[in-house]
Amino acid sequence: MAESIPTVNAIADVEFGGELPAFTPDTSIDATRRFGQHVGWNTPRFTDHDGARKEGLPGAIVPGVMSQGFLGAMIHRWAPTAEIVTIDTVFRAPVLVDQPHKITGVVTDIDEDELTVEIDLTVTNEAGETRVFGTATAKLPS
Amino acid sequence: MILDLHTHSIKSDDGRAKVRNYCQWVRTRNIPIDGFVLTEHRQFDFESDYSGLASDFDLVILKGAEVETEYGHVLVYGVTEPLYETFDFGSIGLPLEEVIEHCNAHDAVAAPCHPGRPRVGMSAHLAEHGVPKGVRIVEIYNGGSRGEEDAVAAAMADELGYIGIGGSDSHIVSHIGRCATEFPEPVTTEAELVAALKSERFRAITTR
Repeated sequence: MAESIPTVNAIADVEFGGELPAFTPDTSIDATRRFGQHVGWNTPRFTDHDGARKEGLPGAIVPGVMSQGFLGAMIHRWAPTAEIVTIDTVFRAPVLVDQPHKITGVVTDIDEDELTVEIDLTVTNEAGETRVFGTATAKLPS
Repeated sequence: MILDLHTHSIKSDDGRAKVRNYCQWVRTRNIPIDGFVLTEHRQFDFESDYSGLASDFDLVILKGAEVETEYGHVLVYGVTEPLYETFDFGSIGLPLEEVIEHCNAHDAVAAPCHPGRPRVGMSAHLAEHGVPKGVRIVEIYNGGSRGEEDAVAAAMADELGYIGIGGSDSHIVSHIGRCATEFPEPVTTEAELVAALKSERFRAITTR
């Protein structure tokens, strides 16, 4: 049975401090290889642990734009009709391939005149360390 | 009295939080702090007046700075216009001992932050530069720490006899209050904060 996710469809449904359903991104090496093939990035740092280590990394890393894609997907799972105006990220540490990560989001501002909400986004690893954080602005129907 | 001594707003280049939203978050989520200090990167914000927000939300909102030295990043509390004229807050290579001397001369306090962090933390530079003179306070709990960074900071503080403060280092709204500092007496102004830090009666706390 498909997972049921609570969604919002209008700005009136959104509350300050409301949490988006947590999202577990697919950070497997298969996923980054597929991503690499589609966008033409076959560099080892994203697709091969040994190759990434030769570049001085602790292992293969998830491309930044792929992480941003996860953030966008998370917002659209929560608000399917939202228009994402901006996603602004700060990469504090690499998101490592084949390691579990969790993405959380919370509403931290609502502009009812502009019909926009601001969302804090945080990507954490299993140790609870913040690897990426940022904010998104999304426009919702009235 | 619990204050988050290390926060950033949209005034910092990598800050994404509006101060009003910090206040709303603290009150909506019952974050156990009585206020916070905005420590914007490489600057002091003389312009902004947060007294209205402080009153509306019954929070203490103070201002400081986070500057950059050869030992990494350093929080400065008690910034005044005369202090601001003594060194270039925008520089990324300030001499720490000079920053501390200027702060002492202007009744301010300088405290290295996230000292256990590679590259931008004090402990990473001790082997090269030695133990700097004048440090009394360091941040031992930082909300953005990863791995053993806080443990390294606490061990360094223990070994060198420093006193620890805590701060979230929040750059987005929902990260405020993860770490903070508890004072036995009320602190409502920058001058009172400096006096409280100089009294060395406080303790770092973390909620992570």
